Amino acid sequence: MELKHKDAGKVVQRELMASYYGDLEDGEGPVAYLFVPGNVVEILRPFGFRTVYPEINALQCGIKRVAGENILKAEDMGYSADVCGYVKNDVGICLAGGSTPLGRIPKPDLLVCNFSGCNTFIKWFEALADLYDAPMFLLDVPYLRDEASYQQDIEYVTQQLWDLVAYCEDMTGTTFDEAKLRETLEYSRQAEDLWTQLLSRARLRPSPFDAYFEAVFFMAPINVLRGTTDCIDYYKVVIEEMEERSRAHVGPVPQEKFRVVYEGPPCWPHFRAFWELFKAWGVVGVASTYSKVGGLFETGIRHDPARPMESIAEYVINCYTNWNLKKRSELLQQYIEEFEADALIIHSVKSCRSFSVGQADFREVFSHELGIPTLMIESDLADPRYFSQAQLKNRVDAFFESLEHQRIVRGS
Amino acid sequence: MYVAGVDAGSTTTKAVVLDENSHLVGKSLRATGANVTRASELAYEECLHASGIREREVSYVIGTGYGRYKIAFGDTQVTEISCHAKGAHFLFPKTRTLVDIGGQDTKAIKVSDKGEVLDFCMNDKCAAGTGRFLENAATVLDLELDDIGPVSLRSENPLRITNVCTVFVESEIISHLARGQVVEDILRGVHSAIGARTIALVRRVGIEPEVTFTGGVSRNVGMVRTLEERFGVPINVSDLSQYMGCLGAGLFALERAQGASPRRVKRVEAGGS
Repeated sequence: MELKHKDAGKVVQRELMASYYGDLEDGEGPVAYLFVPGNVVEILRPFGFRTVYPEINALQCGIKRVAGENILKAEDMGYSADVCGYVKNDVGICLAGGSTPLGRIPKPDLLVCNFSGCNTFIKWFEALADLYDAPMFLLDVPYLRDEASYQQDIEYVTQQLWDLVAYCEDMTGTTFDEAKLRETLEYSRQAEDLWTQLLSRARLRPSPFDAYFEAVFFMAPINVLRGTTDCIDYYKVVIEEMEERSRAHVGPVPQEKFRVVYEGPPCWPHFRAFWELFKAWGVVGVASTYSKVGGLFETGIRHDPARPMESIAEYVINCYTNWNLKKRSELLQQYIEEFEADALIIHSVKSCRSFSVGQADFREVFSHELGIPTLMIESDLADPRYFSQAQLKNRVDAFFESLEHQRIVRGS
Repeated sequence: MYVAGVDAGSTTTKAVVLDENSHLVGKSLRATGANVTRASELAYEECLHASGIREREVSYVIGTGYGRYKIAFGDTQVTEISCHAKGAHFLFPKTRTLVDIGGQDTKAIKVSDKGEVLDFCMNDKCAAGTGRFLENAATVLDLELDDIGPVSLRSENPLRITNVCTVFVESEIISHLARGQVVEDILRGVHSAIGARTIALVRRVGIEPEVTFTGGVSRNVGMVRTLEERFGVPINVSDLSQYMGCLGAGLFALERAQGASPRRVKRVEAGGS
């Protein structure tokens, strides 16, 4: 059967990203740098800011295999081997005058450090503030601890959002337009609905797509273009593509043998090789935490034009990396149940403390207390030097070899 | 009918031939060196020679170890994690926890009462606390690898070796020598350092008796003693410990040859590249 929408998501995304990077290179308007998890792009768009996401640049440089060079540039400058590869990639881009295979990245006029569970974020933008001589606005986001302090935390963040509005008014000389903010929030909300709908299709058997290796590709617009109509239109296209795949019984592997949940970021510099380790065993990711770094929308979190600042504050606080470990662990368990997964795969990356913290505990909880087969493997999300193919293959093979054996013995 | 298992490890390549009753007919061991394919061919030839049989009499060959995909003459591959569990269960059927310390790997494997892998953990990214660590210590102290275990047991005042880095431990040993410390005490410290690191790994899968110790390092009596002290239980060690991987591969080969689980053969091949 000929698939009319084959690769539609890929093709449209390529155009959208090219246009996004093109606008960064040639467009007009002030430039704000933001982090992906818990960013407040909806506040910045009405002021006409063009937004840069250094994590997305690092990810793209990883895929395009230039992250290694960028990292070495930063290490030449004195950054230690232990510093996050994303940070070093970004410093490398700065040292190269903003030149990347994606296009020239403009200098920031404003750095909005939305701290969401990653304290490296603060040091990262402090370094950029120094390198680019740009002002930094620190949004202090309390780590999600317990229900008791929740309302207070929301108010605390909301107040800072108004401070940011005042700062932007002052900086751009533009009066804050609340109607524009509401419009942007409405666009965000619609895209979040569609993105959630798309990811929920991985409940199907077979899943029409890999909710890790493909979802981290599909997540680009929700992370970069949130609050625009392009973002909404994109997810309509991908949903159509996935509906067609389902009708044709086409999935990411010829035969779905194992359904797994992935925790942790992928290895961008060796993305294909990393995916192949699992594809070879007919493994399909049915849910993943990393595809949700830009927001846990399936939990009901939404940007809401009726409650502008409060809904942004709720979104900011409820980012995966800002959640406490108990909530993260419960979310993983929920994924395993809802998506009928056979196992949990934890990919621990050397760079990212906000992800790696607690992963050994997850392994303990899932394999020992819940009896869910759990595999923990290690490499890095940005630094190509930390990928050891033979060692990874050995672990992945042994894990699925034994799962398969147990399945045969149980006769299912 | 005969079957064979070949284990192309990072340091040594081993082979066994089994008959249809799972009896060991012959075995061989040689350094892996730079050419894994050649080393496995030679190990296999030597094993056939030791067994007194011809290649065409062998119905099924399974390769395991890091070099398993380089074993050109094998019928299929199984990871050494599954093979060690299989081999250990065969020799010590009550094995529930398996510790394998090889040239650059330490593995802790939780084994079912049928010899299946239930869970496993391995050292990541670093050869600290593996066979290579002991090799380096032996080199610095100008001793044969086989001697360091017995020498360590003569220690009266064990030293504390703080380094677990395979490279940096050399300078730590040299500095102890320079301070006039005796070799026995240094070596006991080296063994304890590995023991501490090993037990931390094994705890991740849980320690349940019986504990079986395999891999090249299990030939070292000092290491066996250290682990027994740390685990607080006696540890199974076999003269065949170093052959556990290829023995397991041979047992899998026998199952395949006898058609016990034909589906699995296909799937394991699908896992290869």
